[in-house]
Order: sequence, then structure tokens, then C-alpha cells
Amino acid sequence: MTEPAVRAVALSKSYGAGAAAVRVFEGLSIDVLPGEFVAVVGPSGCGKSTLLHLLAGIDSPDSGFVEIDGQRLSSLGARERAKLRNEKIGFVFQFHHLLPEFTAAENVALPLRIGSMNRAEAGRRADEILARVGLAGRGSHLPGEMSGGELQRAAVGRAIARRPRVLFADEPTGNLDHDNAERVFALLREIHGESGGSVILVTHDRDLASRCDKIFTMSPQGIESIGGNRDV
Amino acid sequence: MPLELAIAWRYLASSRRRAHVALVSAISVGGLAVGVAALVLSIALLTGFQDRIRERLARDTPHLLVGPASGAFLADPAGAARALARLGGLESVTSFVEGRGWLADAEYRTALPVKFRSSVAIVRGEASVTSAVAGPLGAGRGTSVRAVANRSELTPLGAAPVSVPLRITRVLAGPGGGGSPEIELSLEDARALAGSADAISGLAARLRSPGSAAADASRLAAELGDQAVVRTWIDLNPGLTFALRMEKALIFVTVFLIVVVAALNVVSDLALLVVEKRRDLGVLSTLGAAGGSLSKIYWWLGGTIGLFGTAAGAGIGAGLSWALDRFALVPLPADVYLMSHVPFALHARDLALVVGFSLSAAMAAAILPARAAGRVGPSEALRLSR
Repeated sequence: MTEPAVRAVALSKSYGAGAAAVRVFEGLSIDVLPGEFVAVVGPSGCGKSTLLHLLAGIDSPDSGFVEIDGQRLSSLGARERAKLRNEKIGFVFQFHHLLPEFTAAENVALPLRIGSMNRAEAGRRADEILARVGLAGRGSHLPGEMSGGELQRAAVGRAIARRPRVLFADEPTGNLDHDNAERVFALLREIHGESGGSVILVTHDRDLASRCDKIFTMSPQGIESIGGNRDV
Repeated sequence: MPLELAIAWRYLASSRRRAHVALVSAISVGGLAVGVAALVLSIALLTGFQDRIRERLARDTPHLLVGPASGAFLADPAGAARALARLGGLESVTSFVEGRGWLADAEYRTALPVKFRSSVAIVRGEASVTSAVAGPLGAGRGTSVRAVANRSELTPLGAAPVSVPLRITRVLAGPGGGGSPEIELSLEDARALAGSADAISGLAARLRSPGSAAADASRLAAELGDQAVVRTWIDLNPGLTFALRMEKALIFVTVFLIVVVAALNVVSDLALLVVEKRRDLGVLSTLGAAGGSLSKIYWWLGGTIGLFGTAAGAGIGAGLSWALDRFALVPLPADVYLMSHVPFALHARDLALVVGFSLSAAMAAAILPARAAGRVGPSEALRLSR
């Protein structure tokens, strides 16, 4: 049996404390196999982004656990978890979240520099990645000088710079017009095809979700999968 | 260049696009610069005056004094003279006689206990006294006084105290006391008071470099062993040198408070930058930057602000000190003061101390913001900055 790329078991998460605590979800489990391209859909406020943050190791569940490539995140210290995020995880935000003081190439090079690659090599790799996402020649531009579609493609470039095992995308097309949304989605599919890694896409767009290998539907009652390898 | 430094530098260099951050950062750098410049100027002013005092002290006082470990006279003056000669760097060596006695006005109406010492610069029948004894005696230049020994001699009329008549030729400001005599007189007069035909109390040496007196004294003391005591011109004026050091330390601490206030401004600047850049910190954390790495960004920011502020302040302070002294820009009435202008002197050691303390203050200012940055959780940062 294939080991899941991402495995979450009995995740619970709430915000706040005491009587003011708001429970986001409880007892939620999900498996994503290597090479799968899955969509997570559901109504606003059901906890899709929170789930993505827990799966990517940028937030911690109240209970339950997450494993990436068989490595349980809760067993890792802060430094090891940061290293895992750098080496095995890519993350695309709804809003590009490029650092405004840095050029597109410098933004793409950031994960490489954090991973201790030297500046020249990271710059060369960033130029290659920008060309791959259709932004050749735009490397020296600051985010403020780029369009929304370009910014999101640069953000995808930054997320794949370390060739991650799992790419998380939190509504990456939610802030784009239809054409740009299609281009970004197509780019994600192409990259998924080339890398062989897993992609977990949170989206409101049912059309985009229908083109994924599997759809996880979140609701206040829990999560269920459609058309996938395993129901949860 | 480390990534953290590159990010810190970019934040500072591009802050002109964010006017409020630029303004606060400029105020931080400017505040530090003003504080450091004020500190450098204050220290230079004080050092200028103190150097003049030390110069006068070094001019009027023997730099090394070899005296007997016990008794009134040196046991082996020739041996001590040879040991002094082996030191090198000597300008002159003179023997002296010193002791205790009384100084009275010509009519013996008032008498004060004094310490006397011979000086080659004074001829027989003349004396140089400190203002501390001249004042109570009502004596000044040209006044006749009598120095009276603690011993007596037999006369046809019985035992009478030994005394020598003196005319005051110089009144020195200051109290004397400690290792310094209140009265200086000729070798012949001192011998008459001390009752020594040819014995001497010690040797007084002047050095070409008075600054090396402490090191020379250590070498000499080691060579002479316990037969003699070696004192430097600093030891001879302990009260004054202590007061000068204390004055400098107090001025340093007091004016350094300006730098501390400026450093507090750096804290608020960096705290603002933590809030301003919370989203960036969340993104960097998501990309794999550890908390320590995020903290380092703010250490570098504190260090960079400190470096710029300190460098600017040190440059301004040093430049002003040099110009004020070189071109005598603050004149003093020469008939009232002993100098024609306010002196400024900046020693490398003092400048290094100011720079070190200022940089330390700036780095200390980065502690809290750096810790806060290191604790920013990526998920929370991204959620709050939406």
C-alpha cells in the first residue's frame, strides 16, 4: 500500500478560549497520496484555509496529528518543522504575499536562500523558474510593477522553487479574473505533471475543482471525498 | 551577505516608499547621532581641560620619586640612581631632602604644620608654597616667612628650634598634601631643617614620557626590592587624579543617558517594523525560515541603525571637537584663565568607548523586537494581516 504524501488523523481545531472559543472542526481525517491533485471545497468559514495551514505545518491542531511523507509534524521541534516546510512544502496564498521590497526574482529565490543556497546560484535558479511560469524578463520588477496574474504566477514560482513534495494552494485563483485564473490553474496542472508531487488546492470554483483528481468537500458535519482513491 | 542582513538592509533602504517607517527610522538614526555627538563633545571638552591640568601637574611634579621604605633617608642612593639610569627615557634625576616642620610668618604669630621638599629650581632663602598654607598665613609673593624644623639645637641660651628664613617666590594653586609637599625650598635649606649633612631623602626623576611613569615605577620597584618605595606623579596627587577620573566617569554616564533615550526610540522603531512586517514574517516562516532567523533580521536592523547613528554621531562629534580646538572657536580671557581658548581633546580610547557603548545600546534596543519577531506564528501573522 502506498504511503500517503499527506496524512491527517482526527484533527480538531478551535480559536479563542473558554466560552468565547470557536470550534472550526473536530475529528477530521484526510489522506493525500503521492502524485494526487486534489481540491478542497466547501462554504466560507468551514475551515478550508485552517485545514490547509494545519496540513502544511504552519499551524498546530488542538488534537490529532499530521504526517508529511511519513514524518509526524508534532514530533518535530520548531526548527525541524521550519526545515521541513522549506524542503518538502510549497505554499501559494490567495493574495500572492510577495515581499514588496524584493524583485520577482528575489522573491522566488527566497526559499532557496533560506535553504542555504548561495545568492548567485539562487538567482540563476529563480530566473529559470520565472521563465517556466511565463515571467521571463520580469525578474527585476518589484511586485508593485506587476499585474495580479503575474504576481500569482510569481508566487507559484516561489512555491515550487525547492521542488516540494506537496504543493498547497489556498484559493490561488480567488483574486483573479477568469482568464488569469485559468492560466494559474493550468500552470499548477503542468507543474504537477512535471514534478510528480502532490497538490492540494482549496477553491470556491466548482469548475476548477471538477478538473482535479479528487475533491474533498468540507461542511460543518465533516469532510468527504468524491472520485478519489479512498473515502474519509 | 547573509539573507537576514539582506532583508534588514532592504527594509531600511526601501523605507522611503513608506513615509512613516522612513521618518521613524530617520529619527532613530538621528537621535543616536545627536546623543553620540553630544557624548563625544562632552568627553572631548572634559579631556581637553583635564589634559591641561595633567600637563601642568606633570610639569610641576617629579614623575618618579624614589624614597626610603623606612626612616627619613635613602639607604643606598647610588644604587637607586643606577637603577633609575637603567630605565632609560630619563630627562633628569635630582636628589632631594624632605621632611615635616612648620611654616610661620616672620613674627611667629601663626604657624602651620607643613611637609617640605627640596627643589633644584629654587635658590637658597626662597620658597614655593601652596595656596593652602599661603592663605592662612596671609602670605603672597615676596612675603618673608620662617620654616621651623621639628628638631632643636643647642645654643648658648639653651635648646632652640632650628629655623630658616625664607622669601616666598611662588604660590601654587591647590591644597598640596598626600604625596606632595606644601612647601618647596632649596636643597641647602631643606638639609638645614632635616639635619642631614649629606644624606638624601630620595631621588626625583623626570621622564621624557610622563605617561610611562606607572610602568617604569613597577620595573624600578621590582629592581630595588623592599629597600625603597617608588611613587609616580599620579601617586603623589591621588586626590586630584581620582577627582579627574570620577568627573569623567560621571559626565560619561550623565550624557550617555541621551544615547539611552535614543536607543529607546530604536525600540519603538523596531517594534513598529515588527507590526508593519508581520505578514512578511509569516510568509518567510511559511517558506521555512526558523524563528531564530526572523529574530536575526531585527538584530541586523538594530545593528545597522546603531552603526549609522553611531558613525554619524562620532564623525560629527570628532569633527566639531577638532575644529573647536584647532581654530580656537571658544575663546577665554587669558588674564583670568590659564589658557586662551576652551581646549577640546579626543583620545582614541574615549572615542572607542563611546562607539562601543552606543552600539551596545542599539543592539540592546533590538532585544525585545527581535524576540517578538522570532515568536510570530506564520498562520496567525497571515490571518491577522489579511
